[in-house]
Amino acid sequence: MHGPSWPAVSSTQAVALAQDWLIFTCAALSLAVLVWVLIIVAAIRFRRTDRNPEARSQRANNAPLEIVWTILPLLIVVGLFAYTYHIEAALEALAADAPVQLNVNGFRWGWTFAYAGGPTITGTSLHPPQMVLPAGRTAAITVTSSDVIHSFWVPDMLFKRDAVPGRATTFDLTPTTPGTYLGRCGEFCGLNHALMTFSVRVVSPAEYQRWRAYEATQ
Amino acid sequence: MIATAERHDILAWFTSTDHKRIGILYMGTSLLFLLVAGLLAMLIRTQLARPDATLLGPEAYNAVFTLHGTAMIFLVIAPFGFGLANYLIPLQIGAPDMAFPRLNATSFWVFLFGGLTVFAGAAANDGGAAAGWTAYAPLSEITISAGIGQDMWIIGVAMVSVASIAAAVNFVTTAFVLRAPGMTMWRMPIFTWEMIATSLLVFMAFPSLTATLLLLFVDRHFGGHAFDPTYGGSPILYQHLFWFFGHPEVYVMILPYFGVISEVIATFSGRPIFGYTGMVLSAFAIAGLSMGVWAHHMFTTGAVNDPFFSFVSFLIAVPTGIKFFNWIATMWGGSIRYTTAMWYALGFLMNFLLGGVTGVMVASPPVDFQARDSYFLVAHFHYTLGGGSFFALFAAIFYWWPKVYGWFLDERLGKIGFALTFFGFNLTFLPMFFMGIFGMSRRVFTYPNTGALPELNLIASCGAALILAGAAVFVANVIVSARRRVPAGDNPWHGYTLEWATTSPPPEHNFPQLPPIRSFRPLWNVEHPEAPQTP
Repeated sequence: MHGPSWPAVSSTQAVALAQDWLIFTCAALSLAVLVWVLIIVAAIRFRRTDRNPEARSQRANNAPLEIVWTILPLLIVVGLFAYTYHIEAALEALAADAPVQLNVNGFRWGWTFAYAGGPTITGTSLHPPQMVLPAGRTAAITVTSSDVIHSFWVPDMLFKRDAVPGRATTFDLTPTTPGTYLGRCGEFCGLNHALMTFSVRVVSPAEYQRWRAYEATQ
Repeated sequence: MIATAERHDILAWFTSTDHKRIGILYMGTSLLFLLVAGLLAMLIRTQLARPDATLLGPEAYNAVFTLHGTAMIFLVIAPFGFGLANYLIPLQIGAPDMAFPRLNATSFWVFLFGGLTVFAGAAANDGGAAAGWTAYAPLSEITISAGIGQDMWIIGVAMVSVASIAAAVNFVTTAFVLRAPGMTMWRMPIFTWEMIATSLLVFMAFPSLTATLLLLFVDRHFGGHAFDPTYGGSPILYQHLFWFFGHPEVYVMILPYFGVISEVIATFSGRPIFGYTGMVLSAFAIAGLSMGVWAHHMFTTGAVNDPFFSFVSFLIAVPTGIKFFNWIATMWGGSIRYTTAMWYALGFLMNFLLGGVTGVMVASPPVDFQARDSYFLVAHFHYTLGGGSFFALFAAIFYWWPKVYGWFLDERLGKIGFALTFFGFNLTFLPMFFMGIFGMSRRVFTYPNTGALPELNLIASCGAALILAGAAVFVANVIVSARRRVPAGDNPWHGYTLEWATTSPPPEHNFPQLPPIRSFRPLWNVEHPEAPQTP
């Protein structure tokens, strides 16, 4: 089982999500480094010394400079927004006819995974449930809750969606790499929130069919 | 104003309507709350130092982090800013007191008892409030959180909310109508400007908080069903109402400190604040934009228009960037004196920057889908409120202490305290970005013993110990300095705003006489009569 490690990026959606992380991390860090350097240069170069006993300038504005440092950041954030909009639009477009459909219900403190026309798996924090998904097939996952707000979060898939009582929302998940991934509740829900885990086991489509057939006999 | 003989006994502190006394009461009270909230954080870090620690069970842990967050946000960071504003606004604009001195005293006492109500709730025999500082419904509904502790939390926070609105009315009215002759709006110090922007946010945001708390109380006790989906209510509605307050609140907790940093950097660089007009306009731009970003706290609900709230959130980076560039340009060409206050201001710049750029990251919904409610988010907002607001708070203490008491805090102990706090802070919160990416949820009393999580948590807890040591050095500093009482004089730092024109501490009605006010640095004009009027 994958524990919390560097996210393994194990779904189609996670590839796009990881790309967004990469772009934003690079943008954020390069801007931060630029400004950090400016701060440190100013802090060292203009410290009071015997050779710099008094401020050398009382100038308090510079309109062209101020316009530049207003417009440039504006262009940067507009560019970042355009990028993030593009990524998210692709992410939110749901497949018309997902081959796997299941409902996830969060409750204090456990999960129920109900496959359309198939098994229903329930587990609590003492015996966390396992969701089985076929690799390379899109699963339409509909999330809701029967008591307080929870959140269905698989860190390796870089995604969470809140389970809100009285409301169902659907997202697509297309796992790519077989393996078992740890999932947990991502919205504080009281006493056993920390223990409200589950797992997602990604298997080959053939194995998934065998699992469905086996569950049908149970 | 009725001139009355100033009382000097202990009773004076309970009956005073003098803005300076009320300011000191606000700041002193919030520092005491800070002590408690900080010790609660130490409990949290002790529990999380190891994956299997048993210092706090889940029940106690949830109550502890709820109280920690509630106290820091409602009872420490914002009220300290209000205390500073109480003390400084009349001094900075040349007024004898606040516009409504009695309302001012009322605000403080309602705030104090609100805070005490929240803390008293923690001692309720069926447990204190444990639904987080956000108290999301349905978790905070009576079916789930039945205890009286949750009710006391609601009542206490509502009292603080009402007190904040009254205080904001006072700040704005004072700055609008009580300015000394010559003190035009465009000559007010940046701190006073930032407090006007802060107060406008309080007007718009805090009524939403009060309404939310009232609805929650009605839900709990009178069958309101506002947030109960089985009767057509909506937990999403709670989040909208709460964050309509909650995000502007973030700026209520930072704008006053932007003001502090502007004053401190200008004074110790020996220069006027750079881009005065830009500084003022950016404060109002931040305030205005912050009213339109609340649902970026709700990206993962799948119930809001992500692109709109994402874009407005990104835009806030622009006015914030203007402030950063102006601060750097203020230092540029200066002759910077590294006092403790300046070190804290520098620490603020370094830390808050990381809080700011990670804020841009989580404003991108695809990043937020992983970061939300993880330790990445915990790291992000502690870099803004801890590394930002708190560093500015201590800059303010070291900068204005000599004005308030007439004697200095010890500079050497101050710098040792700064160094411990700065390294401790970064050691504590830098690892949390990685914990979040690795999948650690916030608000958990334990975490799996896998990957790098145990090591990262242990490092964070060691950092917290350093912060505690820094806090101890500060307390020692106050005690040592109070014994020595090294006299400060009227204007120890060579500040050019009006509060430095009166004695330290200032007399009851502040100014026996005022210097002529011809720019936003009146004392500079006094020193340089030959120079042109505007700096």
